[in-house]
Amino acid sequence: MSDLTRGNVPIKSENDIVAARRVVRDLATRLCFGVTDVTRVITAASELARNVFLYTGAGVMRWCTIDRAGAVGLELTFEDHGAGIPDIELAMKPGYTTSRGLGLGLPGAKRLMDEMEIHSEVGKGTTVTVRKWLRK
Amino acid sequence: MTNQNISVVKVRDTLMVTMPADPDDMTVTTFQEEVLRAMEKYRPKGLVLDISVVETLDSFFARTITETSRMVALMGGQTVIAGMRPSVAITATQLGLTLGGTLTALTVDRALDLLTHPHPRRQRR
Repeated sequence: MSDLTRGNVPIKSENDIVAARRVVRDLATRLCFGVTDVTRVITAASELARNVFLYTGAGVMRWCTIDRAGAVGLELTFEDHGAGIPDIELAMKPGYTTSRGLGLGLPGAKRLMDEMEIHSEVGKGTTVTVRKWLRK
Repeated sequence: MTNQNISVVKVRDTLMVTMPADPDDMTVTTFQEEVLRAMEKYRPKGLVLDISVVETLDSFFARTITETSRMVALMGGQTVIAGMRPSVAITATQLGLTLGGTLTALTVDRALDLLTHPHPRRQRR
């Protein structure tokens, strides 16, 4: 039953951030997440999609529904081939930013989701994976 | 996806803006420009920003609201954000958003009350 469905949304312009939000809203609603969790997941996706656009100009959001020991969830992966994050610990600090943003994107998305993993290689790009599990 | 229009309405001595449910970045930026233009044109007491249908408040949107409220304050007006949904309030708090001390109200009605009869302690920050 794992990986029921999967898909992706290219992120190449500001409008694609809205497109990513809409896809995530639709998925989270179809998976029967509660209103607050739907809002949390959309907001996290919005932050991460904006990071991709803002820092690298282009990338992709991959999504799939997941199933682990009978628990159902949604996994979102944001991939880019940008400059990479030299210091992930620093990037996770609330308020730290290299743009003119608020520096809430990464730490905020982590708090809104259940799980988050970041893999980054300087000069090669960054992959951020987040998961939210449906509470039964 | 097309840019959603933002309409800034002047009612008596107040500007009223209703944000759409899921505004794109362009709409959020346009909102700021339209509000400041209307501030100059109508010289109102303040601005009521109705976000009761807004479903997602991310850090970009929140930053623009906070910035706009500061700009309105510099021009001599007061901003009240009205009608934030519970799910949005929960998410915004977990994300770490603060809205930089901008006044908030449960409904547009209460926001208008705040602008018409400001609480003495909250009148000036």
